[in-house]
Amino acid sequence: MDFSALNDALASKSYDQIADICDTLMLQVSSQGVVFQDEWPYAIHLLGHIYISDINSARFLWKRIPLAVKERQPEVVAAWNIGQKLWTRDYAGVHEAIREFNWSPEVQGIVASFSELYTKKMFELLVSAYSTISTQDTALFLGLNADDAANCNLSSFFTWLITFVQI
Amino acid sequence: MNLNMNSVETLVAQIQGLSGSTSDVNHLHTLLKQLEELFKSESSRLAPLLTELDPSIHSLGYLYILEACTSAPISKEQASELVLSVGRFINLCSAEQIRVAPDKFISVCKRFKDQVMLLEDPMRGVAPMLTALQKLQYSSEQLTTLHPDFLLLCLLAKCYKTGLSILEDDIFEVDQPRDFFLYCYYGGMICIGQKKFSKALELLHSVVTAPMSVLNAIAIEAYKKYILVSLIHLGQFSSSFPKYTSSVAQRNLKNFSQPYLELVNSYCTGKISELEAFVQANNEKFESDKNLGLVKQVVSSMYKRNIQRLTQTYLTLSLEDIANTVQLNSAKEAEMHVLQMIQDGEIYATINQKDGMVRFLEDPEQYKTCEMIELIDSSIQRIMMLSRKLTDMDEQLSCDPLYLGKAGRDRQRFDFDDFDTVPSKFTV
Repeated sequence: MDFSALNDALASKSYDQIADICDTLMLQVSSQGVVFQDEWPYAIHLLGHIYISDINSARFLWKRIPLAVKERQPEVVAAWNIGQKLWTRDYAGVHEAIREFNWSPEVQGIVASFSELYTKKMFELLVSAYSTISTQDTALFLGLNADDAANCNLSSFFTWLITFVQI
Repeated sequence: MNLNMNSVETLVAQIQGLSGSTSDVNHLHTLLKQLEELFKSESSRLAPLLTELDPSIHSLGYLYILEACTSAPISKEQASELVLSVGRFINLCSAEQIRVAPDKFISVCKRFKDQVMLLEDPMRGVAPMLTALQKLQYSSEQLTTLHPDFLLLCLLAKCYKTGLSILEDDIFEVDQPRDFFLYCYYGGMICIGQKKFSKALELLHSVVTAPMSVLNAIAIEAYKKYILVSLIHLGQFSSSFPKYTSSVAQRNLKNFSQPYLELVNSYCTGKISELEAFVQANNEKFESDKNLGLVKQVVSSMYKRNIQRLTQTYLTLSLEDIANTVQLNSAKEAEMHVLQMIQDGEIYATINQKDGMVRFLEDPEQYKTCEMIELIDSSIQRIMMLSRKLTDMDEQLSCDPLYLGKAGRDRQRFDFDDFDTVPSKFTV
């Protein structure tokens, strides 16, 4: 199995292309009758879908993964855990799911990048949806602990304040 | 007539010699058609010939021999090999050559799909089937018999995203009605899986309103899903059919979908407890139709509808009041629902957590941005293209002998203008 396209994408941090590359490769390998399930990078494949917010495809991929792989590879289960929290809209749970697992070096890059992206999206959501919000909830949604939320991000807090005044 | 060594060699030589230009290929086609009987009787001995042919250059000849080889029943062990060899042929064959004999190609691909299903590994067939239908099509506007088979494999293999890619093409040519029904039905299911409810509604609508002289099972199942998707996406369902629906469908479809129409009535009361009770009572019926998942989505969409309805009456509302009106358990749950709806763009509002209030806002879209202008422009282009196509079809149809025959029969023999007025007096 030729993973060069996948490795190139990972090396150049083009994480948004990972899902397509993995899907195409999986179909190709499958049509050649190769038994690929044991060696397939399911964790990266799942995270590829999660990165582009395609939780539907992540769900279907999870359903396709054989039980044996789910039992033997805790990283795959942990990757799906993030997807599950996103699916059930457990906003704070996503951060917990990212933090509580010790990610392997291949996967750390994409997880860290996704974590940043998700925090940014959550921040934009909070700014557009809330006129006032408690520091505790802000901390939960942005994956910070309560003190951090109160102290950090002063510049972004001020931009937030300005948008509030404009409303 | 036995296939002796001489005729085998001549056959191979002819295929190799006549696979160059288009006229050669047509000549070869005529020859091959004459040898149909031979192929049928000697199917078991033809396999070795394939090794002497190159599937990319001698596609037509290869196709005929492959079709004959695959017509015989094979064991499960051989199935895997067959799947591999047909898959290889599909990848390498020349599209121009196989389009000369589309029936043979379709026959090979259908057998390929049957073997893949027997092996219980539908994913193996997805990529080859996609390549096959792209080579068979004259243009992306043509629906081939392979389209529904491809979508079925995508559904079974849970490769919904791959299936979605061909659903974006507009179809203008359909060969067989059955293909169209299946294509739209499976396509609708794929869109439902990817939560593209608008496109799903369009496809299911096409099945329900398509011309049919006899009711078919596909239309019945599609109607059931159509009702459910309509509730999820639009929050309502109109049981009256558009004028262009066939009379067969209009008279009969509702008889087969009674529980679903009752679900619509229950939904329209706006009371979540009633709806849940109804679903509970009819659980088995929905489950046997394999629609239980969709029905559950209908139930959860009701909270959204009820909250949306509130925006039409109130400018601000407390989270407590929302929770009570919509029958949620707590203000916090109501806050989460509203937040999710804001995230999905289904509502425009801001939450004031300090006071526990929600303020409903107007749609901020002012239709002034570049993206909006591009969207409108592309819609206009699309409609102009559609209009041109419709004009062309109208012109073609007005020259069609069948149409003229029927239209001529229904008209009077002479129009009033055919009679000249005869002057009663000549003035000199």
